[in-house]
Amino acid sequence: MENKPVALITGCSTGIGFETALLLARRGWRVFATLRDVKKSGPLRKASAGMPLEILPLDVDRTASVRRAVAGVVRKAGRIDALVNNAGWGAFGALEEFSDAEIRAQYETNVFGLLRVTREVLPILRRQKAGKVVHIGSLAGQMTFAGIGLYCSTKYAVEAITESLRLEARPFNIQVAVVEPGSIKTPFKVNRRKAVAFVEGRSAYQKTLQAILAFGDNPSALAPGPVRVAQTVARALESRRMAARYRVGLDAVLFPLVRWFMPDFLYDFALRRMYARFRKA
Amino acid sequence: MESNQVVLITGANSGFGLACAKALAERGFRVYGTYRNPRKAGPLRDLAAGLPVFPVLMDVNRTASVEKGVGRVLKREGKIDVLLNNAGFVVAGFWEDLSEEDTLAQFETNVFGVLRLARAVLPSMRKRGSGKIINIGSIAAFAATPVLGAYSATKSAVNSITEALRMETREWGVDVTEINPGEIQTNVVENTRLGRDVRSKSSPYRAFTESFERFAQERFRHAAPVGKLVQTVLKAVGDHPTKRRYLVKFEDRILYWMRWLMPDAVWEWALGLTFPWSKRV
Repeated sequence: MENKPVALITGCSTGIGFETALLLARRGWRVFATLRDVKKSGPLRKASAGMPLEILPLDVDRTASVRRAVAGVVRKAGRIDALVNNAGWGAFGALEEFSDAEIRAQYETNVFGLLRVTREVLPILRRQKAGKVVHIGSLAGQMTFAGIGLYCSTKYAVEAITESLRLEARPFNIQVAVVEPGSIKTPFKVNRRKAVAFVEGRSAYQKTLQAILAFGDNPSALAPGPVRVAQTVARALESRRMAARYRVGLDAVLFPLVRWFMPDFLYDFALRRMYARFRKA
Repeated sequence: MESNQVVLITGANSGFGLACAKALAERGFRVYGTYRNPRKAGPLRDLAAGLPVFPVLMDVNRTASVEKGVGRVLKREGKIDVLLNNAGFVVAGFWEDLSEEDTLAQFETNVFGVLRLARAVLPSMRKRGSGKIINIGSIAAFAATPVLGAYSATKSAVNSITEALRMETREWGVDVTEINPGEIQTNVVENTRLGRDVRSKSSPYRAFTESFERFAQERFRHAAPVGKLVQTVLKAVGDHPTKRRYLVKFEDRILYWMRWLMPDAVWEWALGLTFPWSKRV
């Protein structure tokens, strides 16, 4: 038990966090799976019976909660070898119409929450002179899509956080990477919050948003499940030297590649055509 | 030249915003320049003495203030043709040296401020079926470095916000674009806020910070004059439609293309040469 590497994962009630916690536990990690609402820990508790997996409450939006959880892990395990920053959700709506509160809530979890946990864990990793941090980013951190512009902007920020933190932490033998899933068959719908203006039907963009929503709710049959993301996280954590980014799914690999070959004006044109289709739908 | 066109520039009381206000007013635009601190509005008031420049009190961090300021301009002019989202500053420090407040302050102005302004002007632009928003980004949006990670994260987010707004608002004849300057000779250095623990004796990054400061000073010796950036703004204001993004000087283009062409590993190797201390110990 003592020799097992220790992993701390946020947002484990469903989807990617859930699967990553289970997979790492099965692969010989001692896992501290955290979630905001312990009442939602039933499925994970059941699935992880008999595994070296403990469930802790951690609300990344609240500093006190983050401190308490990280201190708890250190007290129990004495160390942290890997941090997986997974907690996050997606705001849906036209960028113009998000209220201050909606913008703040989206950033609170996806950006500030990620930074909060990282800030608490980094000193521990530095003292150990070893450790790994994996951020769960998204294809949306590489490319912006209409209707989820606010979510995309948080994931763009995560990309920059990864790139800068990677270099800052390297002298202490801490490795940082971002895992970028494309569209995934996860209960992302559960983790999606629609803008109030759209829900109340008073958005100037109402029809277009509805078309985008209908499109987004039907992910391709090729889309991988959250287990694939978990496997990628495990591969990253168990490699000697982590790459800067890992892409999961055909779209996550292909879209940035196509974009890479396209001049700006052509990409602009393509996006406009795509958006016009939603508008006319 | 373009008489009766109304431009709103945020953060126009100094540096680049002020230079832009002057250049646009000299070309016949009616320029509304915002300032936050009445005690620092002197240069803007001086400019207003001889040109069609009108100072507007506005704190982009506060929604009520933004709505009031924009409302006053709209009441007087009936329209805003161009919004130049310029207000912004730099938070500098290794991620671990930044407090929660430092990070929040950085996003509050550089990201949420941009969204607030867009929200305030877009309804009137959509109603008229024309308008232009120009966001001042940074080359840091594409190339995150140590110490400037928080700044990079905000500018990456703005990059994504520009892309989403560009798609979403086009059907109303609104054009959204972004300018990504590199180092420019402005007061950006004196307007830099240092992270809480940057000067702390116990910061593990202390030696690195000093080394970075020398690097930054060297870089800024080659900063382009502010006129270069003003020229780019004039071009973006005049272009119909605008390009997807505007770069400013030759060095920025080189950096942009290097980042575009290099695989992550090569790019990091190159950054490692720039920041030798970031190599593994």
